[in-house]
Amino acid sequence: MNTALKTTTLSHEQKVKLFTNLVRGNHYDKMMYRRMMQGKLIGFYHPAEGGVAPGVGACSFLNQDDNLNPHHRGHGIIHMISKGVDVRTFLAEHTGKDTGCCKGRSAWHFSYPEHKVYQQSGFIGHNFAPTVGWGWAAKRRGKGQVVMNCSGDGSYGEGRAHESLLMAQNWKLPVIFFCENNSMAIFASAEEMHPLPDISSLAQGFGMPAMVVDGQDVFAVAEAALVAIDRARRGEGPTFVECKTQRFKEHDIGTPDLRGWEERSDEEHQQMRNREPVTLATEKVLADDVLTQLQIEDIHEAALREIEEVEAFADNSEIANPTEEELMAAVFAD
Amino acid sequence: MRTLTLIDAIKEAYQEELRRDDDVFMVGQDIRGGIFPHTKGLVEEFGSDRILDTPIAESGMYGVALGAAQEGMRPIVDFMFGGFSYVTFSECSVTTGQYHFLHGSQRALPITMTAGVGTGQRLANDHAMSIHGTFAHHPGIKVAMPSTPYDAKGMFKAAIRDNNPVMIPWHMGIMMLKGEVPEEDYVVPLGVADIKREGTDVTVLANSLQLQNALKVADKLHGEGISCEVIDPRSFVPFDLETVLRSLEKTNRLVVVDEDWESGSFANTVSAKVMEQGFDLLDAPVTRVTLPDMPVPGGYMEDYIAPNVNKIEAAIRSVLARIAA
Amino acid sequence: MGIAYTMPKLAMAMNEGTINEWLVQHGAKVQKGQQIMNVETEKVSYECESPEEGFLCIVVPEGETVPCDTTIAHFCASEEEVNNLLGENDSSAPSPETDAQTSESTVDESADASATRTPLESVVDKGYEAGRVKSSPVARKLARENNLDITRIEGTGPGGRIIKCDVLAAVENRIEPSQATSASPLAVPPTEGTNVKARIPIKGMRKTIADRMQQSLQTTAQLSSNWESDVTDLLALRQRFVQRQEQLGTKVSVNAFLIKAICCAIKQVPIANACREGDEVVIYDSVNMGIAIAVPGTTEFDSGLMVAVLHGVERMGVAEIDLEMKALIGRVRNGEARPEDLSGSTITMSSTAGIAPPGMTATPVLNLPNVGLVGPSTPQQKPVIYNGEMVARTMLPMSFTFDHSAMDGEPAARFMSALHEVLETPELMLA
Repeated sequence: MNTALKTTTLSHEQKVKLFTNLVRGNHYDKMMYRRMMQGKLIGFYHPAEGGVAPGVGACSFLNQDDNLNPHHRGHGIIHMISKGVDVRTFLAEHTGKDTGCCKGRSAWHFSYPEHKVYQQSGFIGHNFAPTVGWGWAAKRRGKGQVVMNCSGDGSYGEGRAHESLLMAQNWKLPVIFFCENNSMAIFASAEEMHPLPDISSLAQGFGMPAMVVDGQDVFAVAEAALVAIDRARRGEGPTFVECKTQRFKEHDIGTPDLRGWEERSDEEHQQMRNREPVTLATEKVLADDVLTQLQIEDIHEAALREIEEVEAFADNSEIANPTEEELMAAVFAD
Repeated sequence: MRTLTLIDAIKEAYQEELRRDDDVFMVGQDIRGGIFPHTKGLVEEFGSDRILDTPIAESGMYGVALGAAQEGMRPIVDFMFGGFSYVTFSECSVTTGQYHFLHGSQRALPITMTAGVGTGQRLANDHAMSIHGTFAHHPGIKVAMPSTPYDAKGMFKAAIRDNNPVMIPWHMGIMMLKGEVPEEDYVVPLGVADIKREGTDVTVLANSLQLQNALKVADKLHGEGISCEVIDPRSFVPFDLETVLRSLEKTNRLVVVDEDWESGSFANTVSAKVMEQGFDLLDAPVTRVTLPDMPVPGGYMEDYIAPNVNKIEAAIRSVLARIAA
Repeated sequence: MGIAYTMPKLAMAMNEGTINEWLVQHGAKVQKGQQIMNVETEKVSYECESPEEGFLCIVVPEGETVPCDTTIAHFCASEEEVNNLLGENDSSAPSPETDAQTSESTVDESADASATRTPLESVVDKGYEAGRVKSSPVARKLARENNLDITRIEGTGPGGRIIKCDVLAAVENRIEPSQATSASPLAVPPTEGTNVKARIPIKGMRKTIADRMQQSLQTTAQLSSNWESDVTDLLALRQRFVQRQEQLGTKVSVNAFLIKAICCAIKQVPIANACREGDEVVIYDSVNMGIAIAVPGTTEFDSGLMVAVLHGVERMGVAEIDLEMKALIGRVRNGEARPEDLSGSTITMSSTAGIAPPGMTATPVLNLPNVGLVGPSTPQQKPVIYNGEMVARTMLPMSFTFDHSAMDGEPAARFMSALHEVLETPELMLA
């Protein structure tokens, strides 16, 4: 961790919010996994289990007019619910319904311009280029908006990531490069694909401040994110935050669970499970007297009820069925 | 009326739109210094924030425009040479073209893209290729190219004001072409073809440098009693097929001149559309004059392969050919 | 490539044949001598025997009319060869060169087995040519709008393509209008609501008759003259022959006597027994008598017409003429005519005796290429001055149609007088 950056102390409310979002995010991810296995999702799903804490930590304290590029793992659902996006239309889109956020045209893509979540690109690493534009627009407006750019270790192989770091630092843009390093791309290990153990080492070459945090500890993540957000809001420029996190499941449902070209070991899985983020957070809120067992159970129940409603909305919507002419008319804006 | 060169007409469009709308800004590489004259000197009036030079990093450079457009601004991206746009093609074509449609028509991307294109400088393939056909192939982006200084000012203004992404390259071969340009504000709407010369015997569809070549051929053939109608499509997307079909009702013959490679070209698209929608109007096969399917060579060899007045004349004569009575 | 089977030329006058029916399926094995095809010619239909053994590869389908010597099928060594032939057929897209070929050169090639292109390909190409007129889309549309038959317009575009200006020229000059525009108001068919009793296709024999009659009237300077001959004595003579019919082996008909009389007249005026052949009038020694015969038509309402030919009648007596004539007519009516039975006439007799009302005279149409046609009609008893007294005699109305371009009025009149004399004085037949 870069010791030059000042630290922050989380309030009780902040801790409750983080814990609640972590529980919600984890249930949302499991719901998506379940529905995929039930044949109730279109396309594919990239499960986030084991790596849900970074998104919650990064996004729980963003304002509605802050830009967010969510990580593609979990298809951004953890990031978006943490930022306050109503994801009923997200699930409807994933089920091809006319109430989907993209009118059923895009399956797993999504766009919530009113929350400044503009796109989910099918190209890994294509979040970096518009990130510069968002930052540039935010700086030009001078209203203290920030850009939270979340992506994985693998995407930092893209030249566009380096271009983006270059320009953001060059122009002192209010951007947080938030790297969720789960140590592997689809199969390829970050150890093999990057020369240094920390992706955040890249920041050094551009003179950008960087932090490395325990990505399984949602509170540690949030503390780091808040420092970076605070810097950005005050016009001090970009910060690189790297979370060391994990991925319990395979890359996407249906592909084998490999590291490199070999099955991930039971030993690796056991070590990961020992650091399951919701378990760690539960122990911490109980130990620190933030929440009682009863309150924790209430939080879980509320999350499950919320998800039931989201599913009902999607299931009760109609399948989108426009004509080709109607679709043609939608290619261009007026 | 005063005359301007095509490149100065484009510059005037930038100036007027930058003054008119604070959300308009330009991004590119070395545009403040003005590697081509259309951006030279703009920084003095509009400052480095709105005439924005980036590092040599096309994805990042285009990303400024893409992100800013998502934020509601109206960027103009200058790729310098057309081929350089391919460095960030996935962003400037694929992602940009699909953005409005795929995301449920929630937000349009008012991005204007431009670049110098075309043969005539003998600079070889990557500096001489045309890009309008490739951009037209990918849906969601309007594509247009001016042929005269008048059109240049009006079309660039229309592109900048359009709520959709527009790729509007300009041809280096007619950069210094002079023509009358009104000083007042006007737009030439995208998607409307223009009959640059009326005629009765054959319709020649050509654009930009090749339109100027086609007009020269039409002048020459006029002396022989051959009357050419020369149409400038002006826009490739959307394409004004109606004007071409109306002309064919009169001439029944079509030559398409397209400075692009033959395969997958705009010329092919027109040819197919005319065959499908205007078959009964044809008195001769639709004939194309295009670049052969080879990388554009540099040096003098460029002259051998590029469409030119001789090739256009030969094509016109071929569709008018009759056996001796 | 198999052995080519061409449309047989079954008579001198046969130029083309229509394949009524293939009696063997495409690809089937046929034996030499097996009946494989029913062909309709201008006059008659034949069952044709296979000249070869092999697997039949049909090139020209049923219903098609092709010139004689056109390849209509192949005899292949195997079924596989049949399929191969068809495969080549499909892939042999015509080239611009073949489009430009004249039909003559195509025929030459198909006849020449050593030509680089096989007979089959030639035939296929020819068929393609025949159905294809190169024309631009706008030319076709204009022709359609102006009711012009585009196949009759000459193309001046590349490769002879018919282009817009060619059609406009045709519209301007009303050149080659199609039937729809040339038809007079009278020729417009009745509108709906008028019941049709029968439809008679103008094809086969009907087509031949139509073509021949038109050709006859359009290409000759023919005219008919009429007179009456007193055949009382001739009929009496014939009666004596009839009384001896067992001895003669036939009940000799009046027609046999008429034919004999015509032969006698020809002896005196030979030019009546002649044909127009190209730039010549060919006068024949022997008399091949064409006899017009009514045959059943395609429906109960129409009829057919054939000219059966009795060869060398000048050497025959009336009994022989009668026997041969009856055999000939029998063959023709039974569809068993031999090729020579229907070709080679040098003069024609077209009798309406017994059909036409008594006293009717006619102006029959010449049977090409003959330059003369004798047309006896129905005899009747009439009061006439005979040996200075008014008596009842049997009078036969006669006509003689001749081509003035071949025969002038003077020899024609002499021929009619000679015939008249023999008819009235039948003893002269012995001369």
